[in-house]
Amino acid sequence: MKQAFEVKDKALLEAADLILDEIKAVGADEGEAWISREALTEVYYELGKVSMVRSVFTDNVRLKLLSAKRKGSTTLNSFAPEDIRLAVQEAWQAAQAAAPDEAEGVAEPQENLSFSSGKEKPDLDAMYEQLDQILRDSKKDFPKISFDSIGIEHHYAESLYANSKGVRLSERKAYYQLTNMFMAREDGKTSSFNYFATVYEDPTGRVCEEPRVRRLLDESQRQIVTEQFPGSFEGDLVITPGCLTDILYYVADTYLEDGAMISGTSPWKDRLGEQVASPLVNMELVAEHPQLPGASRLCSDGYAAENMTVIEQGVLKNFILSRYGAARTGFSRSGNYGGATIFGSGETPLEELIAGVQKGILMGRFSGGSPSPAGDLSGVAKNSFLIENGKVTKALSEVMISGNLADMLRDVVAVSRERECSGYWLLPWVRVRGVTISGK
Amino acid sequence: MLQDFLRDYVNRYGFNGYTELRAQQNRSRGVTMLNGSLTSNTSGTSRGLSARVVKGGAYGFASATGYGEDLDAIARVVQTASRNAAFLDSRVQRGKPDFPANAPLNRKDGFEQDVPVEQGYLLGIVDEIDAYIAERFPKLLSRRVFARVLDMEKLLYTSDGVVSHSFVPRSNVYVFMTTQDKDGQPVELYKVLGGYGNFLNNFPNAEALFGKLEKQYEQLILKADGVYAKPGIQTVILDSDLAGILAHEAVGHTVEADFVETGSVGGPMFGKQVASEKVSLVDIAHTAFGKLAPVPVFVDDEGTLARDQMLIENGILTGYMHNKESALKFGHLPNGNARAYDFFDEPLIRMRNTCILPGSDKLEDMIASVEDGYYFTDMNNGQADSTGEFMFGVPMGFEIKNGKLGRAVKDTTVSGVAFEVLKTAEMVSDTVTWTNSGMCGKKQMIPVGMGGPAIKVQINVGGRA
Repeated sequence: MKQAFEVKDKALLEAADLILDEIKAVGADEGEAWISREALTEVYYELGKVSMVRSVFTDNVRLKLLSAKRKGSTTLNSFAPEDIRLAVQEAWQAAQAAAPDEAEGVAEPQENLSFSSGKEKPDLDAMYEQLDQILRDSKKDFPKISFDSIGIEHHYAESLYANSKGVRLSERKAYYQLTNMFMAREDGKTSSFNYFATVYEDPTGRVCEEPRVRRLLDESQRQIVTEQFPGSFEGDLVITPGCLTDILYYVADTYLEDGAMISGTSPWKDRLGEQVASPLVNMELVAEHPQLPGASRLCSDGYAAENMTVIEQGVLKNFILSRYGAARTGFSRSGNYGGATIFGSGETPLEELIAGVQKGILMGRFSGGSPSPAGDLSGVAKNSFLIENGKVTKALSEVMISGNLADMLRDVVAVSRERECSGYWLLPWVRVRGVTISGK
Repeated sequence: MLQDFLRDYVNRYGFNGYTELRAQQNRSRGVTMLNGSLTSNTSGTSRGLSARVVKGGAYGFASATGYGEDLDAIARVVQTASRNAAFLDSRVQRGKPDFPANAPLNRKDGFEQDVPVEQGYLLGIVDEIDAYIAERFPKLLSRRVFARVLDMEKLLYTSDGVVSHSFVPRSNVYVFMTTQDKDGQPVELYKVLGGYGNFLNNFPNAEALFGKLEKQYEQLILKADGVYAKPGIQTVILDSDLAGILAHEAVGHTVEADFVETGSVGGPMFGKQVASEKVSLVDIAHTAFGKLAPVPVFVDDEGTLARDQMLIENGILTGYMHNKESALKFGHLPNGNARAYDFFDEPLIRMRNTCILPGSDKLEDMIASVEDGYYFTDMNNGQADSTGEFMFGVPMGFEIKNGKLGRAVKDTTVSGVAFEVLKTAEMVSDTVTWTNSGMCGKKQMIPVGMGGPAIKVQINVGGRA
């Protein structure tokens, strides 16, 4: 919910005021502070049992000051005035030793706002019951599945951004998060591990009834016995939604974000407004979406986040740049900086998307090295199946894929109508042609 | 240094049942320079307190910032942990007895390395390196230099009477250079310097690093003119850095007892031949080959006195890494592998310094023995699997043709199944080197040391057809 600026925990405001006063007092020109008070409650399963209940209470401060465009920053986890004064001094000394950078600054004045979502107090009984239900349901419906770990967490944080230009933004946010790692085993054989993460606001849901979860657990059970194939071929790669999130992370890091843009290594640095991908590729970052409670309303550079199109019908619409990245490169600052990701659904039913593959693989997870600055990547196609003559056939192991990220986006030939949602992302299945697939 | 308020708390309140009480402070510094501009100049402190209480086999954990002389604040953290343990115990009613008691001990380790460094010193070193690169190698497309410091200090009291105060520093400088190949595509190579120790000791001046920068640039230019590796199974000499990550990724994760319990391939292979008899692998606690290991652990975060854990001895899988609970379950002895990263983290079964022990071969003889294959010298990231299948990135390497090094190789990946690849290890070099720069991820991140000699294996290379 968006509302006029308001902070519930006054300790955050007091800490912010003290930081900005101290920044001014040491003689800095500008400054900013991120302050948060967080509570985490976790119920955790490992070593074959529900093993732990965990509570974490943290105060966090991140501050930056500028002196003649020279920057110093410090983090600490205390609101105590003496600790804050020391931290400002530390940042001041760091700034004195630094070289000036004209691109440095703090967020520009904007409407001071607050956002809130979720319930502040964890429902520990419901969390325990949900975890126990996962274990009961998976044992009944997916008896070969063995969970290495399951964590159900409730997060609550109130965060405040304040700077010397009068900007004040805050967010009170609470959500539940499920993380896990699992594998399937039978007769001394084991599948590759897999995992899923989900963000949600109601802890009473039956996790194992979600289609995405059932698909993943079922696929792992069918991956206990795998086959290898010799040699290599160029074929179609069908990327599952959970795997696509990793590929899109690489795309952002290699082509779109501050690092690649400031260093000048991004192969797309001169291609804003141009066709960089197949017309089937539509990607946006969102600040608010009914299916994505994991989305954040605040950007880390001191601005309220907005929904932002990155690629529309294959055309590059926006880079993903912070205030600093924009100042360094001359492009506009992004309306969103690393938020929840949506990939537009296509026209092709999933069944038809797979039926169109003569020879290729269905890739459930990518385990590879970071791409080169040119976008070249190679790695193991984990949790994968062979596709032959339009049918998903045997589970595979020791299969590698190699190619170039930009080429892969250009060569997207189908996007599924169906999408899956984690609470962080909403993504379809994507089919890419002409990827080098190597067996043993 | 953390003041010892825990002693006052224990003297006043004592313990009620099995409890670990830990105060911790992680101090960090970071400086990043990108193409001559300072993009990061930060320092930080993460300080707080945690308590873990076990009741009937159910763990309750709590932590909070604000560690100080307020003993009531410490008591509140312990009470929250006890309440969490009681909640879980009421649900699971496991009825397990407490762990066997550790012998009381009182240790203080590593503080001779606690030499504070100022932010300006890091800035100076990074600035000199950056200026040298800019002047000497003006044709680079981009350059990035960053310095990182992480000092981890822990003060542990357990209800067994264990008191351990430790300080483990790490300092690194990372240098990234990017040029263009003949097609105008960016080609990158990075190197990491430093490891265990404070920044002043590891980097007394920038000049000492200039020779390494020259070598890095030379390799980058070779790589820009390099070729893609051929895909498929190849004869490969993995240099020390890669052998270290092989030990960590390919084997280490599959023999962590929690992963074994879930069903990793390390379970059914216990006591069996999993590698060539030339391969022995050990997780070093704190001292190796007469020197301190990169991440020395003398007492782990459950209060267990740390000892080396042999994992593979002459090719036979002989051990797992444990915490107290898994050791009890498996009937093994815990050797100090329970480690937590930050004050708010609970101890997990983690590696410390995983190392393949050296053999007797000379690297030059190993290269000469390869008719058609590769010599891979650098690694970046890596991942493991429950099946023993692993991969890691190779940013630098060379062809070997008729026993001689050939053209450089562009970025590639190697992969395989751990115990199959290690069975092909037919030569092991006589020199071990360590790395201590990255983080291992498993619910929490944590620094680990990785070491090894060069090994000659058959391994799958993810090149281009």
